[in-house]
Amino acid sequence: MGDFRTLPAPGTVAGAADTVAGIVEGVFEELHQVRDAVVRIMGPAPVSGDLAALRPLLLPRLGGLISGIGFIAEPGLLADAPWFLEWWQEGPSGEPVHLVRDMDPASSAFYDYTHWEWFAGPRSGDGHTVAGPYVDILCTDEYSLTLAVPVSGERGFAGVAAADVFVRRFEVAVLPVLRALPGPAFLVNRQGRVVASATARQLTGSIFRGAPGTVSHPCRELPLSLVAAQLPHAP
Amino acid sequence: MTEISGGARLAAFAPVDNTARVDAVVRRLTDAIVLGLLADGEQLPSEAELAAQLGVSTVTLREALMALRQQGMVETRRGRGGGSFVRVPQEAPALLDRLRDLTVEELRDLGDHYAAIAGATARLAAQRALPEDIAPLRRTLEEMAATRDEAHLRRLHGRFHIEVAAVSQSARLTREEIRLQADIGPLLWLAHTGEHGPSAQHRAIVGAIQHGDGDRARELAERHVLDAVEHLIELRLREP
Repeated sequence: MGDFRTLPAPGTVAGAADTVAGIVEGVFEELHQVRDAVVRIMGPAPVSGDLAALRPLLLPRLGGLISGIGFIAEPGLLADAPWFLEWWQEGPSGEPVHLVRDMDPASSAFYDYTHWEWFAGPRSGDGHTVAGPYVDILCTDEYSLTLAVPVSGERGFAGVAAADVFVRRFEVAVLPVLRALPGPAFLVNRQGRVVASATARQLTGSIFRGAPGTVSHPCRELPLSLVAAQLPHAP
Repeated sequence: MTEISGGARLAAFAPVDNTARVDAVVRRLTDAIVLGLLADGEQLPSEAELAAQLGVSTVTLREALMALRQQGMVETRRGRGGGSFVRVPQEAPALLDRLRDLTVEELRDLGDHYAAIAGATARLAAQRALPEDIAPLRRTLEEMAATRDEAHLRRLHGRFHIEVAAVSQSARLTREEIRLQADIGPLLWLAHTGEHGPSAQHRAIVGAIQHGDGDRARELAERHVLDAVEHLIELRLREP
């Protein structure tokens, strides 16, 4: 009975926020498996080649919400490559493609990934980072969310396990939930940027700075909130 | 009538800022080097002679030569057989060939296209930027100011414009900016040859985005492109 009472009622803002949280947490569960695998693989002096052992785990996870997945090393972690991504993404016809990026500071203006929110968030101790929506100029040039969790080894922070979710796919997954609510509704990230929207008045990518007549409900522990019109009869 | 203070009068009659003349000399010599009017390794006339030819004071000329030395376009050797010698940037000859292949009309059209993209992305960036979106732009400007390596500065210049585009939250416009950078970025760089660090225009664009002033951001970004293209067209017209 106690459990029953804590479940948000379906059709309410709280219920919709809970459903969205479940969808996003599904991706985080995949990332926890990647994180655990990285920890298992890493020896005392890891090199980039060791991470190839992740591939049987990474490749089947592409598809559905996830368009890219992998591990991004803390600079200096690997003996043979100061900057390194073991990153796989869907190719034009859905086949897995290994991302090869120029990580040489001498020839690339884009090598330093430590400032990106998906790396800086987990590195600063954030357990569940949802970065974006943003235009991913490092990997895909697509409008994306990147979900990321920290990976810690014996010597502390080792890097991040991360997954890309294209914003258009995320919208397909959550829009039915938003549209089931009786009024306009949209999702915002921690900074207030709209992630997905079921109203033309507050579009994805815009900044929501609060509005009278709306209620905001967190999606469980995630850095996402559902904003919806306050119904006249609601308390 | 209000009496004008002595200090203000003095300021009014102070010599016109020398910086503009130094910049003009730097640009003139840079253009001559880029266009191949001055060959790699060629010795420049003596300071007094060159100052007289250009119609500037030797002080102005020395400042200009110092700037050119910093950019690696002039090398000064002391002692017997010494003097100032021309150093042509590695990329310049190939870029100049590309410039010669384009007509003035094509250059104008490229400028129109690029100004439209740069202006639109800057306006949207100003409307949609969060404070954390400004940090990468500032970081790139700082890196531009810190570097003494021309190739690195050119990469950072491209990165800056792509980062501005990304702040717009539009993947399509950002991809268009990336395409244009790959296509005409190096050519546009020809117009920026001799610059060191970020320009006042770069800083002003970031300022307008940070203040959420979309109209100003757009105007500044368009002006930035059109100024560069105008300079390219001037270079083109000096060619046969």
